[in-house]
Amino acid sequence: MSPSRKSWLASVGIVAIAAVMVEVISIVQYERLRRMMAEDMTVRSHIVLGAMASDIQHTLELTETTMKENLWNVSQSVSHPDSVFPAMKRLIDDNPHVVGGCLAFVPYYYPSKGRLFEPYACKEKDGAIVISQIAGPGHDYTENEEFIRTLEAKAPSWSDPYYYGPDSLSFATYSCPVWDNKGRLAGVCGLDIDLSWLGDTLNVNQRFPSSFRILLTENGQLVAGPPESRTPPEVVQQAVDILNGVLPASANPSIAIKTTALKNDPNWRLAQVFYKKEIYARMQRMRRQQMMLILLGLAILAFMIGRYSRNESKLRKVSEEQARVDEELEVAKHIQKEMIPRTFPPFVYGSLEPAREVGGDLFDFYIRDGKLFFCIGDVSGKGVPSAMLMSVNHSLFRVLSQKSESPSAILKALNQELCRGNDSNMFVTFFAGCLDLYTGKLHYANAGHDRPYLLTDSVEMLLAKSNLPLGVFPDTEFGDQEIVLSSGTMLFLYTDGLTEAKNSNREAFGRSRVHEALTACLADGNMTPESLVHAVSGEAHRFAGEAPQSDDLTMLLIRFMPGELLKDQITLVNDREEVEKLGAFVKDFCLKLEIDRKTASHLRLALEEAVVNVINYAYPKGEKGSIDIYADSNRKEVRFTIVDSGSPFDPTAAISADTTLDAQNRPIGGLGILLTRKLTDSVSYCRKGDKNVLTLTKSIQ
Amino acid sequence: MTTTVQETAERFVAVLSGELDTAAAEETGQALQPLLDSKGKEIVLDCTDLEYISSSGLRVLLGILKQAKSVGSRVVLKNVNEVIRDVLEISGFISIFEME
Repeated sequence: MSPSRKSWLASVGIVAIAAVMVEVISIVQYERLRRMMAEDMTVRSHIVLGAMASDIQHTLELTETTMKENLWNVSQSVSHPDSVFPAMKRLIDDNPHVVGGCLAFVPYYYPSKGRLFEPYACKEKDGAIVISQIAGPGHDYTENEEFIRTLEAKAPSWSDPYYYGPDSLSFATYSCPVWDNKGRLAGVCGLDIDLSWLGDTLNVNQRFPSSFRILLTENGQLVAGPPESRTPPEVVQQAVDILNGVLPASANPSIAIKTTALKNDPNWRLAQVFYKKEIYARMQRMRRQQMMLILLGLAILAFMIGRYSRNESKLRKVSEEQARVDEELEVAKHIQKEMIPRTFPPFVYGSLEPAREVGGDLFDFYIRDGKLFFCIGDVSGKGVPSAMLMSVNHSLFRVLSQKSESPSAILKALNQELCRGNDSNMFVTFFAGCLDLYTGKLHYANAGHDRPYLLTDSVEMLLAKSNLPLGVFPDTEFGDQEIVLSSGTMLFLYTDGLTEAKNSNREAFGRSRVHEALTACLADGNMTPESLVHAVSGEAHRFAGEAPQSDDLTMLLIRFMPGELLKDQITLVNDREEVEKLGAFVKDFCLKLEIDRKTASHLRLALEEAVVNVINYAYPKGEKGSIDIYADSNRKEVRFTIVDSGSPFDPTAAISADTTLDAQNRPIGGLGILLTRKLTDSVSYCRKGDKNVLTLTKSIQ
Repeated sequence: MTTTVQETAERFVAVLSGELDTAAAEETGQALQPLLDSKGKEIVLDCTDLEYISSSGLRVLLGILKQAKSVGSRVVLKNVNEVIRDVLEISGFISIFEME
């Protein structure tokens, strides 16, 4: 599984866990709030219902009081039937709730009035009180339940509500027994009150649109409820049925009912009906909003985690990339280090300290044909691009110097190579030289590099033309310059990393300090190339102190130490008979060098084969030509140089004989050059002007 | 460079002495002419006094060897000194000549 997929899964996991936790907390919270709200609702209903109950009770009590206050008056009025009417009028006039009053006499109380007599007063709509006697064949109150009960109980009581009249208004009657002043039970006085107002007052101030309150009698009869416009009658009926136990509470689980009973007669009950949905609606809305907010929060969290992990994986990628680059730079550094010479003969020493992992400085040297080929260069810029160009330069120098001994020719070829496709406009300052280790003859050419110092008895600058650096113009010409070094002379080459080494005050080391350091070394008198380079480098580092190295620091020191030189020369014509002379010449030279017989014999054979080659092939058949042979030695190495003016011919390019074939198939050609190669340390050819120059060297130590 | 060739019933014995360089090669080749008609007899090249040999000298020896092989004769190099042996080794001739 890829790391990005892993981190994606992790972020999804974290968000999912967070979502579950939040949901659980939300559910628990919701349930708790719901319970609190239900309790609150119960308390609130009880308060409201209690207040209403007292209100109703108060109205009823007012009626009862009206009755009590008028009862004496009424009982006095019964002494004469006609006086009862005004008493009734007074009775109902007192109390605005009372709509009618009557006094139903026990049968035959007034013999003159017959069996039934019931004076009645009632309020018209306009407030006028009308008095009448309402008992008659159509209205026999003696069968009335209230009448019977009141007479039997001899105590006042409330009737159940009833509907009466053309408007089917709801009424209730408070009945009270009436005694005359002789102590006889005269009849029952009743006060009718209108209950229709109850339905209205009962349902004012409802908090929820669908909830309603109802008033029930002790028997469960509906006294008052919400108007039909507010609540459909079947809904009210269902609540009544549930309260009466006709229907189970589960008949409508969406409602909740709270009840309160009036404190005393009549034992009516008040009930508040809620729709749970409405009570919790706000809470549910809140919860929904909360959930939305939480989901939004989680989405943002998921997004942030996603972004973070993506950024992190990007960061990790970047750091992995960085590590890879570092590793590659390390390898590059190693490769570059390998390119620079690390082992030095006693007369050469060089050092290169790159400012970064890889640098644009280079130096190189190698010895061919008793000649030291060397160079030092500085590629513009620093870091990898410079290092790459430096590598190219280094390789080109090695290749180009194989075929030429002229530093300016090497520079010219290098320059042309570097100018080809140099779109990045980089350039290289370069100094190349070729020092003949036998003669001290130094050929050199400069391409914009700092002029080297020449250390003889004093410290001087080598007179070198500056010229343009390499890589600027393809047709730049670099002239060869020549100087002959005396024994012990040193050549100090460096790059601007030395003169421009800066201290923490941004001061440069400068040429004057280089000059001073070299002069000090010279005064020491006992310096080797290595110790001298280290001394100058040490001075530069001491000067820079803690300041970071800003540029590559490169130095190369060459000391001309020819030792005791021996030389000889012979000129032959292109005739095989001349080989004898050559043999004598080599033998003689070897004798002077006290070379052992075997080595001398090898040298003689190597040289004979090389010269015979020239005799055979350099000049056209029949044409006379001369061959010059130079012998040089410093008692460590011997060098033979064969020079002829024949047509260009490079024997080193010829294929050597195959020495594994059997006798029948063995060719004889190529054997000569094979022997020359095998018997010497190096064989090299170059064309110098109109001459072929073949050089053989062999160590004789 | 002096070269002598002796023929006995069983073999030819050529004694090479001196330096067989390029200049001497032609003369030596002529002196060894009899060996080119070896008639199946063994050829012994006595190198006891041979001090030096160049590739031209090797070419002469190779000519003799090729001829001898074609008629079934053996060619033996006798008493080869260190210098000559080196040359034979470098040139690979040591593997095609019999040494004694």
